[in-house]
Order: sequence, then structure tokens, then C-alpha cells
Amino acid sequence: MGVGIAAPPNILTTTIEKAARWAATRSMFPATFGLACCAIEMMATGAAHYDLARFGMEVFRASPRQADLMIVAGRVSQKMAPVLRQVYDQMPDPKWVISMGACASTGGMFNNYALVQGVDEVVPVDVYVPGCPPGPQSLMHGILTLHRKIMEGEIHR
Amino acid sequence: MLTELLKGLAVTFRQMFRPRVTTRYPKEFRTKPQRFHGRHVLNRYPDGMEKCIGCELCAGACPARCIYVRGMDNPVDAPVSPGERYGFVYEINMLRCIFCGLCVEACPTEAITMTHLFEMSVTNRDDAIYTKNELLMRPDGTVPHMFDDDPYANYEELNTADGWLRATAPGGVAAYEGVKMWQGTQGPASWDPEPDQETRDA
Amino acid sequence: MSEHTVRIVVDGRELEVPKGELVIKAAQDNGTYIPRFCWHPRMKPVGMCRMCLVFIDSGRGPMLTTACTTPVADGMKVDTTDPAVKKAQEGILEFLLINHPLDCPVCDRGGECPLQDQTMAYGPGESRFVEEKRHFEKPIPISDLVMLDRERCILCARCTRFSEEVSGDPLIEFLDRGYHTEVNTFPDHPFRSYFSGNTVQICPVGALTATLYRFRARPWDLVAVESTCTHCTAGDRIVIQASQNEILRFLGVDAEATNQGWLSDKCRFGFGYINSDQRLTVPLIRDGDGFREATWGEALDLIAQRLGDVIRTSGPDAVAALGGARGTNEDAYALSKFMRTVVGSNNLDCRMDDTLDAEFLAATVDRALISDIDRAKTILVWGPDLKEEHPTLYLRVRRAAIGSVPGLVSSNSDAHLAAAAGATLVVVHPRATGLDPVADFKLTYRPGSGAELLAQLRAGEGRLAEVRAALAEGPVVALVGRTGSTEDPRLAEAVAAFVRTLPDAKILPLARRANTYGALDMGVAPTLLPGRVSISEETFTAWGDIPRKPGRDCRSILEGALAGDIQALLLVGADPVRDVPDGDLADRALDAVPFLVAVDLFLTDSAGRADVVLPADGFGEKEGTVTNLEGRVQKVNAIVPGAGQSRPDWSILDDLARRMGSSLGFGSAEAIAKEIAEVAPAYRGVTWDVLDWEARDGVVVPGGEGTQPLVYLPADTPGPIIKADLVLHSARTMYDDGVTMRHTPHLHRLAPGAALHVHPDDAARLGLGFRARVVGSSGSATLPVVTDPSLARGVVYVPFNQPGCPPLGSDPRVTVEPA
Repeated sequence: MGVGIAAPPNILTTTIEKAARWAATRSMFPATFGLACCAIEMMATGAAHYDLARFGMEVFRASPRQADLMIVAGRVSQKMAPVLRQVYDQMPDPKWVISMGACASTGGMFNNYALVQGVDEVVPVDVYVPGCPPGPQSLMHGILTLHRKIMEGEIHR
Repeated sequence: MLTELLKGLAVTFRQMFRPRVTTRYPKEFRTKPQRFHGRHVLNRYPDGMEKCIGCELCAGACPARCIYVRGMDNPVDAPVSPGERYGFVYEINMLRCIFCGLCVEACPTEAITMTHLFEMSVTNRDDAIYTKNELLMRPDGTVPHMFDDDPYANYEELNTADGWLRATAPGGVAAYEGVKMWQGTQGPASWDPEPDQETRDA
Repeated sequence: MSEHTVRIVVDGRELEVPKGELVIKAAQDNGTYIPRFCWHPRMKPVGMCRMCLVFIDSGRGPMLTTACTTPVADGMKVDTTDPAVKKAQEGILEFLLINHPLDCPVCDRGGECPLQDQTMAYGPGESRFVEEKRHFEKPIPISDLVMLDRERCILCARCTRFSEEVSGDPLIEFLDRGYHTEVNTFPDHPFRSYFSGNTVQICPVGALTATLYRFRARPWDLVAVESTCTHCTAGDRIVIQASQNEILRFLGVDAEATNQGWLSDKCRFGFGYINSDQRLTVPLIRDGDGFREATWGEALDLIAQRLGDVIRTSGPDAVAALGGARGTNEDAYALSKFMRTVVGSNNLDCRMDDTLDAEFLAATVDRALISDIDRAKTILVWGPDLKEEHPTLYLRVRRAAIGSVPGLVSSNSDAHLAAAAGATLVVVHPRATGLDPVADFKLTYRPGSGAELLAQLRAGEGRLAEVRAALAEGPVVALVGRTGSTEDPRLAEAVAAFVRTLPDAKILPLARRANTYGALDMGVAPTLLPGRVSISEETFTAWGDIPRKPGRDCRSILEGALAGDIQALLLVGADPVRDVPDGDLADRALDAVPFLVAVDLFLTDSAGRADVVLPADGFGEKEGTVTNLEGRVQKVNAIVPGAGQSRPDWSILDDLARRMGSSLGFGSAEAIAKEIAEVAPAYRGVTWDVLDWEARDGVVVPGGEGTQPLVYLPADTPGPIIKADLVLHSARTMYDDGVTMRHTPHLHRLAPGAALHVHPDDAARLGLGFRARVVGSSGSATLPVVTDPSLARGVVYVPFNQPGCPPLGSDPRVTVEPA
């Protein structure tokens, strides 16, 4: 993962690459994409009891232009899928996606014609968070996993 | 105007002396309710036998169809579980699972229970499919996890059980009514027996 | 109210029901379900389980009576809802559950168990029984296919009654008395029945389970589709159940017209080959002594080019095709159309030279239906051993011979009363058959001398006078076929010609292989066109300009290949090396033919010699229709995807035609079915829509008068009489070394194995020891010797197509020497 640097990492850019990765993890701006019950947990994560500000990401941006992380929180209907893709496309690079909860990840218990069976059919997903819905701590674990993924620069696990 | 400003700032100032409510995960863990539905675990009897008999009732009860079980004849000389049948394949797709606990309720042998562990985020959806390797309690009573190098996970939570465990009337044998069965099982499967009929009816 | 009905009152509703019917059946037919375990509509009632206790008032006040043993009577009042009835049901269930173990979670029946269901519906909530339950060793295998768990048994006697009444091999029985009563087999006698799987299906608890299905799935993770079995030609209706894209079991469907719910074990358990890992998954092209994997395009282009070359240089008659009887009618139609329109040759045959004349099988006059067997006064079976080759037909004939079942009383028509007495059964076969115990007359003859016996029977003199007299009583149904591979195929036709002289006679010509009748009806024969049309019939114009000269049949194709006249041969689901009685001929012919293509599921002995091998979809993987031996068209359905890149036959042929610069014009199997319904006269109007929605039990063709252009009169030329010191009888057994059985390990194990059966006197005369060398007209083998006093002296019997024994030839003359 290039983390904002077009050229592949080489000996001259390793340190600045590391710095860019570190910077990216310190202040991610999530785009609000609360679709269902998972969004309530996402909101709780941002509130005082869990306080996403600790990770520098307390501002959920209403405009995708200002966001670099999309937390898909909830079931994605077939009709929402193009909208989801559009929002994703409007986000500036580098950008990441967290698929929050069973419905967003796989369709969950709604194995039917109306729902997208996993949001990774529409956008590339970096981290899947199981749970129905995942609690704030689960979501934070997902965010930390994403941080780790960015820092290590490879798909671990 | 200045008084208004000070008034407002006083509110902010007051907050500084109130206790902090933030749980600083992952450094601190918020205490979860006893019945929290976390990751599943497949239990063993104290003698090391698997409790799972591969009956697929959990798979049948699962509303998300995330459990895949296949049974097999128990080897006569080295039985895996008591009885004729054992769970040969046991897989749960944690990404489909909605952690409703119906599998735990459906299980006739208390084989599957839920722990308090919730750190299961993955970057690859294949890794969300927990097989018997990850689900089944080790013979020493500890529970394995999909990743043993997760710096954020609290593995202690694997040894806590949810509140859904309940004793069943053991085999209809009157002499065992009210007696706690399966004593001494490690962490996830320890509970009080059901009260006997008279207490219950009273 | 007619003279055949009576009036009864069930739960306050007045009903008019047929006289003689049982209360349980009459109530069920009118919407009142009375719970039961032991009663089965196809067997005699016994009243073992007492679950059907209801109040029956026949004029003396209501009494708790078993509804399954009480026939209806005029004015009878039945009450199934009284509190006392409810109490009785709860009491019975509490009793039944006293010794029933609570192992539903591990029981195969759990989830589809009548005991579970009825306990939930009618049972008490709790049991008062707190003592120790009865214990037996569990489970015990009572045969290779069935396991018995006596703890679960509720002693309903369904299995014992089935094996005694229906299948006629009472190998499972009640032992001991009272509290110790158990169902079991006799010591040292395994439950080795060809029909043992039926007991598993009708067992109302999980006492009898199938080894193959054991612990493989639970009812709630199965998907099911109704289909038609193609192991034999009776067209048994089945349900295929699969889980996770793997076929796991077959169940019988109670179709009155065909199998009446029963299946043979071959049909029920013979699906292992579909899941086999030996299946062909990619096209193969010959590369030296072996094969290399190829793409479909590459393989089909090669075939198209080579076939084109042969047609250009040697003419279309140098191309031939064998097979087509294993697939659906749609596949057969595609093959027929491909050979006629794209290649321009009539050299195609679905028969493997082991059955009867194509026109006789497809379009004989006076053709019987299977249900005619029930109404016959006299039944003549002069053909293969039905128990081995047509198992569900065997059950039908056996039931007709011993008389109908009282539980089945559904009408008091004269025909029914006549049937209740049992038909006179005449069995003619060179050897002992499964029907012998219920036959009124059993005639044996030496293979090769059938014509002699037929002439004597026709004359009806001496010891045959009695038989001849019995045959003179109509209605007569004759099941005629080739008794073995060494018999002249014309004999069966001569028998049919004789049968036509009998009063009110109907003929059921017997052939064994899967969809032979459908393939013949689709024109996969040198003399036939689709819809029972003769090749010379000029009114058949749907295919445009096609060759009108009759082509070569199977034997002639193989001889032509040997002589160099046939330059290219297509095998479509055919394995001539194992199936043609003259195995030696097939062997040399396949080696001689310059270009050989095989479309098959497996790399069979024949496909292994091919230049190109194409993987085909098998049973349960493709949708289509099949035609059974009475002409009943039924649907087969798909439930799992094919293995690897396999495709249905029609799609392969369609693709091939396009690469040869022509087209068959098919888009789907359903489109072919529509084309058949338009083009083939006998199949007019038989589309999938009709079969799926209106006629689930199938449609018998031809549907109406004049829709069958070809009506064949059996020829009365029984063939030469061949006399020899030793004659060979070689017939198929249920389990053999055929390609589907070979890849179904559970059943392949049960094949009797190659052996030389010989009368003890002959064994002594020839000085045979443990092994002997048999030399037939077209093959030889060294086989273990089995003495069999039921054989006539001078007759030796070798089961056909057993592991380790090649076909020995179609001539009965044989020599045997000690080895």
C-alpha cells in the first residue's frame, strides 16, 4: 500500500513512508455511512464513553471529499449499493473501508434478494468487524486492526 | 456579554472536576454484562471428551445459517464424544453470525457456549471462518483463538461464559434431580443445577 | 349412495366412502388424520402400535377401537376428538416412549420422525417413567446397507411385514416374547435383500437406518427434487435429496402407476458414482498412450475436423454412433438429429446388442401398461429374472400373483375382486428366478432350445397341457425379454407372437438399460425416427433431407469398424467392451476404428481407447424427460451442478454441429422438449409444462389414436435351435461391474462376483475342481466353480459383467475344462 506516495517504497523514502503511514493512522476522518442499527453503535463509539477522539477521528464528515475512511455500518440494500460506490469514489485517496457488522460483511441473516451479500461486492474492504451489531469496543478493535494494517503496510492475517 | 462568556466557560470548567467516563480501550476493558454474547467455544467434558455430538441442531436453529456441521461415526476404539456420533466438521462464519445465541439454546449437550471475547476483526474474510481448531477447547481447558498475536485482544475473556448456560434434567434419572452435573469443567461451562421439581413448582 | 359405498359419520361429518375401506383410510381421504405408526397403505393392517385408537360406534355404543383394522360399515360413527380418545393417544405415546431412548440429536430420523412429530402433536408433555430404559447393543449392522438400533424400535412390524408380504424375503423378524420382544435377523443370516432400503424409509422411528446416509446430514439441511430413477426401465419415481451440492439419498415416491413407493436397493443407494472423484471433469485428447487435458474448444474443433475429413473422404456412412440410452430423451433426440442431419448417416444404435429388436421394443402391437399386471388373470414372464433386472416390476408381479392386499381395498369392482384371488403366474426361464416361490407354473429350458419349448407350449400337450389351459384364461399380460445374453433375440418376439393368439393379451417387452425406450422413441436406432416413425416414412419431413436407407445396428457397426467401413465412431454413454455380449468383437472393433470419440462420465474400458473423451453431465445434474418400458414419459430433474467442466450431451452435440458448419438449433433442453412435442408424432404435446404441473406421474405415449405411425407385429421366427453337450446361460445380476456400479463402492462390493455355476453332476462328470476354464464363442475366463443343484444338467451359468470376467459371447455353445 503506497499510503499517498505514488512511487514504490525504496531506500530513500522509507522513513518518510513510515511517517506518512503514522500520520494517516493518527487522524482518519470517517465518512458517515450509518445504514442501520450498527450506526447506533458507531455513534456510541464516537461519544464520551469510548471517545474516538483518542484516535483523532471524532469528526464524522458529512462530505466524502473530506473523509478518508468509510465505515459501512449496516445492511446495504441493492438500491443503496450504487450510492455507496459513488460516495466511495468521491473520497480522496488514500482511503479505507471498514465493513461493520454481519450485514455489511456478508448480508448476515438477511440472505435475500433485497440485500447486497457483503459490501465487498461493491467496494474494496480493508477490515471486517464481526458482530450484530459490533459493540463500540469491537469497532475500535476494527479501527486498531486497520491502523495495524496501515502501519505494517501489508495484509496480515 | 462577559458574564455570559464566563457562564458558559464555567460549565466547561466544572466538567473538569467530574469523574472521567471514557474507557480507554484497548488499555482498559469495560466490564461486560454477564450475558454478553461473544465468540463461541466448543466445550469438553472433564474427562476430555468433546461435548459436541454433531447433531446439527445449532445449524438448524441458526437464523443466519452461519454454522456448518457434519457428523460422523465415533471410532469405536478411540471415541471423540460419548455416543455414536461426533462433530466431524464444525465451522462458524463469524461474519455471518449475528451472535443471537440460538445455537447455545438449541444445543442438547451444552457443547457450544459463548464467551465474552469480541476481538475478531479481520482483514481477510476467510479468516472469519472459525473451524474446530479454533473453536474447540483444548484438553487442558484453555481455549484457542484464531490469532494468538493480537496485541489488543484480551484472551482472558475466552474463559468467561455467558449467562445462558443452564443445567438440563440429566437423562431423566430421578436420583440426579437437582444434582449439579459436569462439575469442575473449565471456565466456559460451569453453572448451578436446575432446581428440583418441588422447588420449581412452589 | 351406490352399492359400492357406505355412509359413515366422522367427527359429526357425514361421509360417503367405499365399502370395505378401513376407517383410518376413509378418514384420511376425507381430511381427518388419525395418528398411526404401524399402518401403511401398501401393506396389510396389524394393529400393533394402537396409536390409531378412536371411538367407533357401530350401533353398540362408542368403543375405543383401532381405526386401522376396522373396515367401514353403514351407519358407523367415528369420534377422533373425544377427551377419552385424547387420553388414549397420550397413554399409548407414553407407553411407546418408555423404552424409546432420547437420542434424537444423534438419530438420523430426528427431524423427520413420525414418533417425534406425533409425540409433539398428540403426546403427553411429561413421562412418569423414571426407571431404567431397556438396553440393547446399538447399532448393529444387519446387512451391508442397513443398521438396526433395537432400543429405538417401537415394534410396529412395518419392516417385518414388508419383507414378508412385499419383497418376499422374510429375513427380518420378531424374536423373543413380551417385554423382551425385539426385531432382528436370524443368526448368520444377514438382511441380504434387494429391497432392504425400503424398510429404512418406512420405519416410523430411527431403528433402521441406512449405512450410506448415516450421520451425513439432517433433514433441515437437505434440498430435494422429484425425479425418475434410471437404473432400470420401470421409471420409478424418486426424490433426490442433496446437501452442499452433494447427493445424499434417494427416497421412493408412492406413484400408483410405477413403483408404488418401493425402490430396489440399487435404485435407492446407487448414486455414489455421481459424487465419485473419478468423474471426468475436463475434455481429454489422446497423447501417445495417455491423455492430455484440453479445452472444450480445442477438443470439439478436433472432432469437427476429423469427422469432416471422414465424411469428405469416405462418405457419411463411414461415421457411426453408439449409445444414448443413458441420457435423457432430449439428449437422445440431439444425437439422432446430429447423426441424421449433420452427419447424414443412419448408423446409430442405443442398444448394446444385448436386447431385442428396436421396432419390437418401441412399437409393438398390444402393448401393456404396468398397471395391467394388477388386473391380469394370467401373467406370463418369459424373460430376464425380474428380481435381478426389473426389481420394482418384480414386486408388482409378485403382489399380483399372491393376490391383493386387504389394506388396499379401494373399490369393489369386479376386476379388483378377481385380482384379490391372485393371478396365475407362469415363469419361463433357463434357471431359478426370484419369482419361482410365487409362480403357479415354472418352466425351464436349456438356452438355445427355447424355440422347442415354445412349440410344445403352443401345442399344449403332455406336461404343458395345464400351463396352456392357464394361459387360455384372459386377460393375459406377458412380460417378454431376452432371458440371457446367449439367447436369440428373436425368441422373445416369437413368444410375443404366440401371446397375441391368447385371449385379451397384452405384451410388455423388457429391456434393461436406463432410457432405452426413450432413446428408441427419439430415433436412436438404425430403422427409427423420433416419435415411433419408421426410417422409410416419407411423411416425416421435419428434418428436411435425411438418408432413408436403414443403417447399421450395434453389431453391424462393430463389424464394420473391424472391416474398415466405419472410420469414425461416437460413443455417447456407451461402454461396448463391457456391455456387448460378444466382448471380443467390441474389443477388436474399438481398437480398429481410426477415430473414436467418447462422451461419458468416467474413463470406461471403452472410453480409455478413445482419441477424444468429453465429460458429460450425469443423473441429477441435468433436466429432461425419460420414457419407461410402458411408454410413460416422466421428468428427471437436476439438483447438483455437473462435475468440473462437464456439459449435457445435447449441448456438446449442438456445439459440435455448429463447428461442423451446421446447427441443431437448440438453446436449452426445454427447447428440445418443445421441438420433440412438435416433431415426434407419438410425443405430440408432451412438454415440460405438462409434466411439471399437470401430470407429475408422467404421460403415457402415444396419447391418442393414430399418433403412433409405426405399429409393429412381432415376427414368429424364434431362431435356430442350438443343441450342445454344455450350454451357457449368462444373465445380468442387480449388482455388477457396470460403470455406474463400479464407481458406487457400497453396491459394487455386493456384486456376486464372477463364478461358473454348474450342476453337481456336471461338475463331477467334467472333473471340475475349485476353478475351471470356460471358453465361450467370444471370450474365455478361468473362474471359481460353484455347484448349483437348481440348474439343469448340461447348463452352466455365468453371471454377466462381473468383476474379473469378460463377456463370453452370444452363442450358447461353451466348453468347460478343469483349470
